[in-house]
Amino acid sequence: MADREQYRDMTITEDGKLMLEKASTDGIETVWDRYRKQLPQCGFCELGLSCRNCAMGPCRIDPFGEGPQKGVCGADADIIVARNLGRMIAAGAASHSDHGRDLVEVLRKVSEGNAPGYEIRDEEKLKKVAMEYGVEIENRSVEEIASDLAYAMEEDYGTRKKALTLLNRAPEKRRSLWEKVGITPRGIDRETSEMMHRTHMGVDNDWANLLLHGLRNALSDGWGGSMIATEVSDILFGTPKPTESTVNLGVLKEDEVNIIVHGHNPVVSEMIYQAVNDPELVELAKKKGAKGINLVGLCCTGNELLMRRGIPMAGNHLMTELVIVTGAVEMILVDYQCIMPSLGHIGACYHTKMVSTSDKAKYPEMEHREFHPENAKELARELVKEAVENFTNRNPGKVYIPVEPVRLTSGFSVEAIVEALGGSLEPLINVIKEGKIRGIAGIVGCNNPKIKHDYGHVTLTKKLINNDILVVDTGCAAIANGKAGLKVLEAVSMAGEGLKAVCSALKIPPVLHVGSCVDNVRILVAVAAIANELGVDMSDLPVAGAAPEWYSEKAVSIGAYMVGSGIFTVLGPMPPVLGSSRVVELLTSGLEGVVGATFAVEPDPEKAASLIIRHIERKRKTLGLS
Amino acid sequence: MKSVIVRPERCVGCMQCMIACAVAHSGTKTLYGAIQEKPRPRPRIHIGAGLYREAFPNRCRHCSPAPCYYACLPGAIHTIEDRGTVIVDPGRCINCASCAMVCPFGVIRYHEDVFAPPSRTVAIKCDNCIERQEKGLIPACVEACKTGALIFEDVNVALSEKTSEVSRRASVGISEDKVQPGNPLQLLYKHKETLESLSRNEIRI
Repeated sequence: MADREQYRDMTITEDGKLMLEKASTDGIETVWDRYRKQLPQCGFCELGLSCRNCAMGPCRIDPFGEGPQKGVCGADADIIVARNLGRMIAAGAASHSDHGRDLVEVLRKVSEGNAPGYEIRDEEKLKKVAMEYGVEIENRSVEEIASDLAYAMEEDYGTRKKALTLLNRAPEKRRSLWEKVGITPRGIDRETSEMMHRTHMGVDNDWANLLLHGLRNALSDGWGGSMIATEVSDILFGTPKPTESTVNLGVLKEDEVNIIVHGHNPVVSEMIYQAVNDPELVELAKKKGAKGINLVGLCCTGNELLMRRGIPMAGNHLMTELVIVTGAVEMILVDYQCIMPSLGHIGACYHTKMVSTSDKAKYPEMEHREFHPENAKELARELVKEAVENFTNRNPGKVYIPVEPVRLTSGFSVEAIVEALGGSLEPLINVIKEGKIRGIAGIVGCNNPKIKHDYGHVTLTKKLINNDILVVDTGCAAIANGKAGLKVLEAVSMAGEGLKAVCSALKIPPVLHVGSCVDNVRILVAVAAIANELGVDMSDLPVAGAAPEWYSEKAVSIGAYMVGSGIFTVLGPMPPVLGSSRVVELLTSGLEGVVGATFAVEPDPEKAASLIIRHIERKRKTLGLS
Repeated sequence: MKSVIVRPERCVGCMQCMIACAVAHSGTKTLYGAIQEKPRPRPRIHIGAGLYREAFPNRCRHCSPAPCYYACLPGAIHTIEDRGTVIVDPGRCINCASCAMVCPFGVIRYHEDVFAPPSRTVAIKCDNCIERQEKGLIPACVEACKTGALIFEDVNVALSEKTSEVSRRASVGISEDKVQPGNPLQLLYKHKETLESLSRNEIRI
């Protein structure tokens, strides 16, 4: 366990530091402790030079030239690094896309009347998306449209199509570029499956060809799986509108039953949301001595509820263990992705009931209560009741809620931004043209114990808004910026003069929360719409992306679909590619000539900001903007 | 005085010590920097494979008296007594390979090095990470070893620990306590039982 001095180097958050101290007192091992025990980490793996793809291996390439320069099969450093990166993209794309598929399943069951509790909340969006898919909407019931749309989306997952439907949202120039380079994604599952095939021993051994398929695989996520996840979530649960809420561990309440939803998919959490508002259960909570039931979110499941319902947010990835250490949580319900397998063990040290809900995601020391669209409403009610009954098991001596919550505004879907702008993107385009806003940066991604918790996100964001760059954020980055107080109107005081004037006039914060990590596609949609409006390609715009604290394979896929869509992207932690100078060269400069954008890696957020500012100014100059 | 002690039975052949060694002897002292240096740093510890493909970490044993010291005609090899370390001075090395001929362990290599005169091939071997030890750090290979195949310990302390370990195992054997893991005698009992039941035709293979 770390001592007090060390906590300051681990996180910039007050609640984080205080809870790390309590974790140490309570004898709880955290992600930071485990990270330290792993040090030094495997150098071959850090460089991408180890391969476990077959049983002739495992193989490693010696980066210092003394030992083997080829694997048993003959693959050199370039091939091994490219194959490994390809599989990371495949895993990330698969995760988002499978999440999307689960939503399509609910959509289909709603259309069949087999999903009590779920409904079509946004008919307008259903019809709009249905039209994009060529589904007939005239004189048809909502259920009929939903049924056909679900079927059409399922087709996007398969192998019958030449190109994904939603690619039509991208500018014509971008689509023909994809066609020319040969990276138009054809089917969501197909590209992931093909990547696994290509990286099998003895298939694609041209490192550049592999990386190009990596882009196609990532595009099948960005313009396919993730985009479907976001659109169907909006259809089923409502398109987000600006909403006020609060963030950090202070959202937990000492005198209420605290229930936390954690993971990524809103399918379960939306049902929990309905159940906590059940008057009978609220009454039961009072009988048990609590003042009510307090539902809060963690990570992207939390983001989904925050965006649509204004449900308070307890914290991001590195806070997920510490939230249990408060001793004030009656139940944590998890779905999938980014849920550390350590959570169940920590829950066992307190009275917290840990519940897993998805057939594809079980965890040690969690009770498995499987949700399906058919039983979700009933099961949600049952579980909330159990959480309420668990309130009496809480040990007040162990409870510690360390800070007061911070306010934030969330809910900026593209539709909401357009509405705030008075019905079109034109006012935004105009202020960018005038130079009041120099450009737009998407700050996304995770936390990673290799980077001081939240330091990367917050430092980068502050520097960018100070330089009149509008920041849109998602995922753990958005939660970090929320905790740092950057998502309130008053934060305009930290913005440059131009951005301050625009945000003040529109009454929006300088940092707009656009959603969870699948909602990064809202950034794609917005950038594509701006490019269409101006008749240029996405790569021509003064736009950039950054993942200052990324850790997950999903982030690799996101980065790759951003770059594949023409958006320059800066990564904080180094991806495992340095073992091949050719791969590095392609990713950081060669891709410019292929897709009009590249990656950069810069762990220091101050320097990352300079890279982004320089990029945005260069793009402005090319567009003839001053 | 502490020295690096090799416990080959624990080595899993991950080669992390090699990477850590090369980085510790680089100019930049970082992995990402080291692989881009010219000349590239190289490890001074080497993993060999035994008869059964088991891994063996092989490094300079810093012998005393050191055969390489006596074989080095230009006087490039000397000993730092209080660190128990045999050192090659790259500025004096003439690349004659005499030290390699007499080294019983084969742990000397010849190549360019960031700390040697530019463009000259010199004898390179383990220096017990003297630079790190002066900063209060343990040798890089030991720090990198996850399984305890390399430890940094006074050799007599390490051996007395081994004596206790062996003694404990022996006493377990005498008391026939079969719960104790790692008791080599227990393995015998197990085989004995299996053989006996085989002879009684109770289990078939």
